[in-house]
Parts: sequence; C-alpha cells; structure tokens
Amino acid sequence: MRFGLVSGDVPLISNLDVWRNIALVPQYHGGLSEKKARELVQTLLSRFNIERIAALRNPSLTEEERFLVMLLRATMVRDAIVVIDRPFKLVPYLKDLSFVYDNLKKIEELYSLCYILEYTHRLNRPEVGNGRAG
Amino acid sequence: MFNWVENLGKIIIYGTRSLKETFTFAFLIVAGLFRSQTYNSASYIVLLHQIYFTAIQVLPLFLTMAAVIGFLLTGIFLHNLKELGLAAHFGRVIMGFVVTELSPFLTVLLIALRSSSAINAEIATMKVNKELNTLETFNIDLISYLFVPRVVAGMVSVLLLSGLFAIVLLISGFLSSRLLFGMSLNEYGNTLLNSAKLTDIFILLIKCFIFGFFIILIPIYSGINATYELTSIPVAVLRGMVRIFIAIIVIEVLSLIARFA
Repeated sequence: MRFGLVSGDVPLISNLDVWRNIALVPQYHGGLSEKKARELVQTLLSRFNIERIAALRNPSLTEEERFLVMLLRATMVRDAIVVIDRPFKLVPYLKDLSFVYDNLKKIEELYSLCYILEYTHRLNRPEVGNGRAG
Repeated sequence: MFNWVENLGKIIIYGTRSLKETFTFAFLIVAGLFRSQTYNSASYIVLLHQIYFTAIQVLPLFLTMAAVIGFLLTGIFLHNLKELGLAAHFGRVIMGFVVTELSPFLTVLLIALRSSSAINAEIATMKVNKELNTLETFNIDLISYLFVPRVVAGMVSVLLLSGLFAIVLLISGFLSSRLLFGMSLNEYGNTLLNSAKLTDIFILLIKCFIFGFFIILIPIYSGINATYELTSIPVAVLRGMVRIFIAIIVIEVLSLIARFA
C-alpha cells in the first residue's frame, strides 16, 4: 500500500520550482520526460487556477497555494492513498474543511481514497475525522 | 601525560572513524552510478543544473584568473630560467608544473571555495528543513537522485575547467613570452610539445576525477550529518570545508608521489 502524504513534516523542496516539486515523483519513478512533466503540471495547476505559480519556489507561496501544490504532489504517487495530515496546521486560517473538500473534488479522478487526519477539537465538522473524502 | 595520550587517542579514533565513514559513503556513491534508478529525467536535471552552477557560472572569474596567472607565471618563470641559464627547461617547467600541477590545483581550490561550500550548506539546510525526509517519504533515493548527479557534475566540471585553465594559461603564457622575450609561436609551441609527456596527461586526468569526486562528496557527507537544528548548518559547512582542504592536500601529495616516485 502506498501513501501520498500532505503534511508539514513533508515540506516542498525549497530549491525546486513548484512545477518541479510536483513533477519530481512521475519523473523519478515513471521516467516522464521534462516536456511531458511540465505539460502535466500546468494542466493540473490550471484546475485550481494557479498556473501562474508554476515557476515560483516554496517561500514565495501563500499557505493555500502551498497546500494545493502538496496535494497535487501527493496525487502523483501512483495508486496511492492520499493522506492529508492536519490541514488546519498547513492552512491555519481555515474556518472549516470546505476549502480542502472543494479542491479535492477538482482532482477526484487522480486518487481513489483520501484520509484527512485532524485533531477533533479543531474541527467544526467532527464527522470528517474518520471519514472518506472526495 | 595520561591526558595527552587520551586526547591523542580520541583524535586518532575520530579521524579513523571519519575516514572509514567517508570511504563507505564514497562506495555507496560509486555503487549508485551502476544502479538503473539513477538514470531518469529528474536526476539528469540535477546533473545539468550542477554543471551549470559549478562550471558555467564561474567562467568569467575563472578565465580572468587563468589569463592573469598564466601571463605573470610564464613571464616570471622564463625570466628566472634565463637568468639561471636554464631556458632550455622552460617547456618542462610549464608543462610539468604549471599545466599538470597548478591548473588542477587552482581549479579545485576555486570550485571548493565556491561550489563545495554551497553544496554543503544546501544539503545541511535540506536536512534541517526535513526536505531529505520528503524525498525518502516519496521513495526517492537520496543517493541516486541527489548525490550521484552532483558528484558526477563535480568530476566533469573539474576536468573541463582544468583543461580550460591550462589552455588559457598557455595562451596568455605565449603572449607574455612574446611581449617580454620576443619568443615566436613556433618556438613556444615546439618547446611545449617536446616537453609534453603522455604519463603527465594521464595522471592529470586521474587527479581531476579524484579531486572532483571528493570535493563534492565530502560536503554532501558533512551536510547529511547535520542535525535538525539551525545552528548545525554553519558547523556542518565548517567541518566539510576543513575536510575538503585536508583531502585536496592528501590527493595532491599522493599524485606527486605517483609522478616522481
């Protein structure tokens, strides 16, 4: 069983552009060419309307953008379960998980299962603690 | 007395352990060269970037340095050799000392100061930021993705820059000998060609590869041995740079022994 992890303990690589961070997994494991990897990442970023950040690096991103890039990177692991670890720690000003759910829906064909792990006291909607998203 | 012996013992144990770990790491890097997973487009990009940062970005400074040193050294050597009545040995001094010893030595010093320190800080920072954990989490092998391409880039860069240094040095050496002593191109060229030895070139090649290998391997090794504290970054860089200079001296001495023994 493979996991695609979205977590503060698995940060983006700071000396790589956003698109290279996302493309790293398919390039390394799948042998995807530079050109195809770039096209793939541009398409994926456009789903969130954040194509403009493709050439930026980690420190230049907002918390929301960083979360989305980490989410896309996690979905690049083939046949993996996406695990989002403490989303409120990654994007602290979120009031609820609607931001996470809305964006998961935009890429729902890229993953089969997604678990969101969060402390229950932080949740306005406690049912997501053990639930399946997407 | 006992304290002195104890301290000496500690130094010897630390040095031996450090040497053993460095060579074990070197073995892993060499083994990584022969693994299929090293050859993918992500590692290839790391290799190209590293060659660009190490060998291309440095060119303006490097070429200027080579031209100035070549002009001055050739002039000084020729002047002194003429005064001593040893002008016939001019070619041997230029080929045997300046090209085969000085070129790789100055090249490796420049790369060590510029790229090795940068790589050391980069790897240590990646360790502190848990970015190395990120790579491991995504099942990306650190050796094949991050380390082997950098080490190969270091070897290629030292070889190319040493060759370039020698060429620029010889050209500016010709200008110096022409301007100061009226030496013709034919005379200069013949003197150098007659003094060139195939074994010198062979030793030069081997030395460049070994220099390139260790001046990138050592900072990587120091970087990954940093702890997760920010304060460990300067300590890792400092240790790495000291080890690099020790390695440069050791390799230089060993190559001299191999040449003249």
